[in-house]
Amino acid sequence: MLDKNITEIKESFYTDIKSVSSIKDVEELRIKYFSRNGLVSQLFEDLKDVVKEEKPILGKKLNLLRNEVSAYFEEVKERISSSNSNKENEIDLTLPGKNYIVGSKHILTQTLDEIKSIFKGLGFSVANGPELESDYYNFESLNFPADHPARDMQDTFFVSKEFLLRTHTTPVQIRLMEKQAPPVRAIMPGRVYRNEAVSARSYCMFHQVDGIYVDTDVTFAELKGTLVSFAKQFYGSDLKYRFRPSFFPFTEPSAEMDITCYLCHGKGCKICKNSGWLEILGCGMVDPNVFKFVNYDSEKYTGYAFGMGIERIALLKYGITDIRIFFDNDLRFLKQF
Amino acid sequence: MKISLSWIKEFVDLSRISTEEIVSQLTMSGLEVEDVVDQTNLYKNFIVGFVKETEKHPNADKLTICKVFDGKDDLQVICGASNVKAGQKIVFAPIGTEIPNGNFVIKKAKIRGVESNGMICAEDELLLSDDHSGIMVLDEKFEAGKPITEALNLNDVILEIAITPNRPDALSHIGVARDLAALFDRDLIIPELKLNETNDDINKLASVVIEDIVNCPRYIAKVVKDVQIIESPKWLKDRLEKIGLRPRNNIVDITNLVLHECGQPLHAFDLDKLNGHKIVVKSTKSEIVFTTLDSKERKLPLNTLMICDGKREVAIAGVMGGENSEITETTKNILIESAYFHPSSIRKTSKTLGLSTDASYRFERGTDPNITKYAAERCAQLVAELAEGKIANGIIDVYPNVINPKEIELRFSRTTKILGYEVAPDKIKNILSRLGLAIKVLDEDKLLVSVPTFRPDIEREIDLIEEIARINGYDNIPTVSKINITLEKKTDETEFDEKIRQTATALGFFEMINNPLQTENDAKLTGNPIRIANPLSADMECLRTSLISGALITISKNIRQGVKDLKFFEIGDSFKRICDGEIKSFSDFTETQNLLLVISGKEVVKGWNIEEKESDFYLLKGLIDSFLSKISLDNVLIDSYYSTANEIYAYHLTKSFKEVELGRGGKLKNEVLKQFDINQDVYCFEFNLTVLKSVQSSTKTYTDPLKYPKIIRDFAFILDKSVKYLDVKEFIKKKSSPLLKVVSVFDVFESDSLGTDRKSLAFTLEYYDESRTLTEDEVEKDFNNLIALVTKEFNAQLRGK
Ligand SMILES: [Zn+2]
Repeated sequence: MLDKNITEIKESFYTDIKSVSSIKDVEELRIKYFSRNGLVSQLFEDLKDVVKEEKPILGKKLNLLRNEVSAYFEEVKERISSSNSNKENEIDLTLPGKNYIVGSKHILTQTLDEIKSIFKGLGFSVANGPELESDYYNFESLNFPADHPARDMQDTFFVSKEFLLRTHTTPVQIRLMEKQAPPVRAIMPGRVYRNEAVSARSYCMFHQVDGIYVDTDVTFAELKGTLVSFAKQFYGSDLKYRFRPSFFPFTEPSAEMDITCYLCHGKGCKICKNSGWLEILGCGMVDPNVFKFVNYDSEKYTGYAFGMGIERIALLKYGITDIRIFFDNDLRFLKQF
Repeated sequence: MKISLSWIKEFVDLSRISTEEIVSQLTMSGLEVEDVVDQTNLYKNFIVGFVKETEKHPNADKLTICKVFDGKDDLQVICGASNVKAGQKIVFAPIGTEIPNGNFVIKKAKIRGVESNGMICAEDELLLSDDHSGIMVLDEKFEAGKPITEALNLNDVILEIAITPNRPDALSHIGVARDLAALFDRDLIIPELKLNETNDDINKLASVVIEDIVNCPRYIAKVVKDVQIIESPKWLKDRLEKIGLRPRNNIVDITNLVLHECGQPLHAFDLDKLNGHKIVVKSTKSEIVFTTLDSKERKLPLNTLMICDGKREVAIAGVMGGENSEITETTKNILIESAYFHPSSIRKTSKTLGLSTDASYRFERGTDPNITKYAAERCAQLVAELAEGKIANGIIDVYPNVINPKEIELRFSRTTKILGYEVAPDKIKNILSRLGLAIKVLDEDKLLVSVPTFRPDIEREIDLIEEIARINGYDNIPTVSKINITLEKKTDETEFDEKIRQTATALGFFEMINNPLQTENDAKLTGNPIRIANPLSADMECLRTSLISGALITISKNIRQGVKDLKFFEIGDSFKRICDGEIKSFSDFTETQNLLLVISGKEVVKGWNIEEKESDFYLLKGLIDSFLSKISLDNVLIDSYYSTANEIYAYHLTKSFKEVELGRGGKLKNEVLKQFDINQDVYCFEFNLTVLKSVQSSTKTYTDPLKYPKIIRDFAFILDKSVKYLDVKEFIKKKSSPLLKVVSVFDVFESDSLGTDRKSLAFTLEYYDESRTLTEDEVEKDFNNLIALVTKEFNAQLRGK
């Protein structure tokens, strides 16, 4: 009889304790089982009436039960009372956290960073040069003779007869080669200026990255390999590309690199003027005339050079339609990047 | 440049080659095709229509309701052009036709309540010209319903090709045909000329003298007599119209045709208007005014190359003819000029006059001195055919120093070295021959290449290598998959900028990029600016002298957009003039890389658990110091404070390193802000990064964290308001025991209870030693001593305790 009661009370305790969720429930449970007249105490009372032979066994069983359930009871009581103390503060976890403002680099800087890190991985150094340049560095030493129509390719802001705002970052190539003997492998990011009417598609200043590599066995094939590697890292490895002949006074042969239009995937659309291709950079083998200006032996050394516009790349990459937004510095724009 | 494929096919057989293939090969060999107009496709839906009747639109004055017969049915069509009349044959676009100039499709529509079933077209809508003055009226003989591709011969393919400045030879149909011949390995066909000349000796009819042989190395004249100046035949007009030229009369049209055929600009003079029937080529000796055939008076500078007759100037050489000698309806006898002018002379004239013509464009890029004779004769032949002229016998050819083909050696081995792959010698020979270059084998590795004068761009071996590369196709050049990277040190001159950007963004600043070109007023704010000689506009006439004005423009714009709490930085170059006159060297100006940090509006915006806080000077100062600590420059710079205003700051501080100022900043004056329409406080600090870079140390050393406890003491003094915190702090540091390591302020308090000219400054003192634990006694002793000294030195009174 008692044996059966022990089992029943154990089961009923475990059932009751499951629904305990407040201090009040805990107290009710204590009274029901552990008070002087509680169910567990009652079992010990009942033990007195048990026949002598069964007493030791049932007594032991009863003690085990009391220890087990009271330990569990204490654990639950502890958990409930501690969680309840939080509940007393009524914290509203849904309120917003403190707003920290972390600034950001301009999207053009971020685009440039990406380009820079790819070329640094390909063994390139990074060099700087002035924006207010001499005619010599910007044109003459880059094989743009005075009075040559090639100069029309780059509308120039002049500050005097001899000085101008650089129209490309290519002069830094000359400055670098003047300073050091081959091998030279570097990129030159920077700001350039063109005397062109401001519109959604063109601005009077923008940013470029130029690059050059001169050594004893630099070939057009290596130029292709390096730029394809860059383009795949930047635009994605499934990219399709083509190199097509072009003209720059400081390279010969010269090329422009096109990649498949990302919008129409080569079918032809407004962005790519229906050609299916987007021009991303100009490049070529360094013209021997340029080597002459920096006293490099063009029989011994060959080299390649390339240049690309950062704005154009960022416009394409982020689907921005008006170049002027880069220089409006509207915080609502800057914060998006 | 526009190229007609049907025209080009006269010079090279392109049978069995698709338009797509031609376009692709041209583009991939350097003659980039920017646009292709396939007329057959473009005009496939347009037909000849007949306007049977017209009536006024009841609801619109300018619209006409037309009954148009399309060969089958009568259709009601609304037309907006004023020249539409019953009885006209017109170009009709039925429903479903795509209109070329707008990429829209004609739909059945109600225009002001009246149904319209198609459109009557103007020339510009068909991309035939820019003319939108009225609808295009066709010859009455055309049959209604006939496709206009047939009626108007619109079955050509027109290519728009971008010709790079190095390829003057490609500025003509024969020139492009020559590339196609090489690309498709076919023959270039140049039609032979057959001239029927009279017995009149040209030397008795005209004479030519070149006085400026440098700028005019060759001058050819051909005379044709008894010409009829009339409208050109349809085939000639079609040909010119297709490439975007407007036909004028037969003579002018012929010279244009020859120009676009072989690239040689020609000019036809009325021979009877040339005094003494004489041509003299010479440069002007003084400034003169000359009226060109477009009836404009032009001021010509000294040393402009001119064509003169026996008395006066009759043309600006290579640029434009004069009104005084031009062909008119009454012209009888003509002199055809076919000359070679020096490119830079023509370029100079064209640039100074701001006048670029088809002729000057070609001369300044370099024409072929040796095509001149062919061009003159081809022109004479056509004039004989189309103007019933009689060609005088012979030619006047003044060419004292013949320009011969250049000879260049080409090594196969060098070609391989540059391109990175071997092009077979036979292939090379074939490519060069197809391009019209003569070759002679010198040895196993070497060719002697003779470059005709029509390729002035080919001067060196490398130029020949380019020809080989582009005709053989850049696609055939391998793309390497491995490169060598040398192990020498790589440098990055932008590394420091990067560190600055990271620090600034971590402190909550947003990077802006402002245009360095600005108004003179804005640029003058912070220095002596450099002017742009040829600015785009007055608001971009100077280079900035600091980054401040650009930042203020940005702040002003943002405030107007309702964004008022701002924290920006910019890294960029600033330019200052340091000479009075013209800039002739790099020492006449400075270009420095600057960093500007600027704050305005609220530092903290009110939140549910946070009080709002305005940006102030101390925020700026704190940011600058945190910033400097991140680049390890916090403890080496000297601050100087200026509480009185200067040109731009109400008050400011500077940071220097060993007497060299690295930067300055503070609160901008209201007068300055007003210039930019800003009515909230702005604080900024500008560093000279060029100098900052040179002083920053890249090495950091480690110090052990303190192992022994610190003893902290506080005190507060009541002192005169004029006493500066820094003075008290320095005094304490000077007078204290070396165990006092840090002195900092934790409270500044002013109140009437202290007296109107008194304030309270509360300090925290940190005592410690790196090698032992301090005793309370030794600290207490120093602390008490400091209290006594400060009290005395600053007339201070210890608070509270
Ligand atoms: Zn596309």
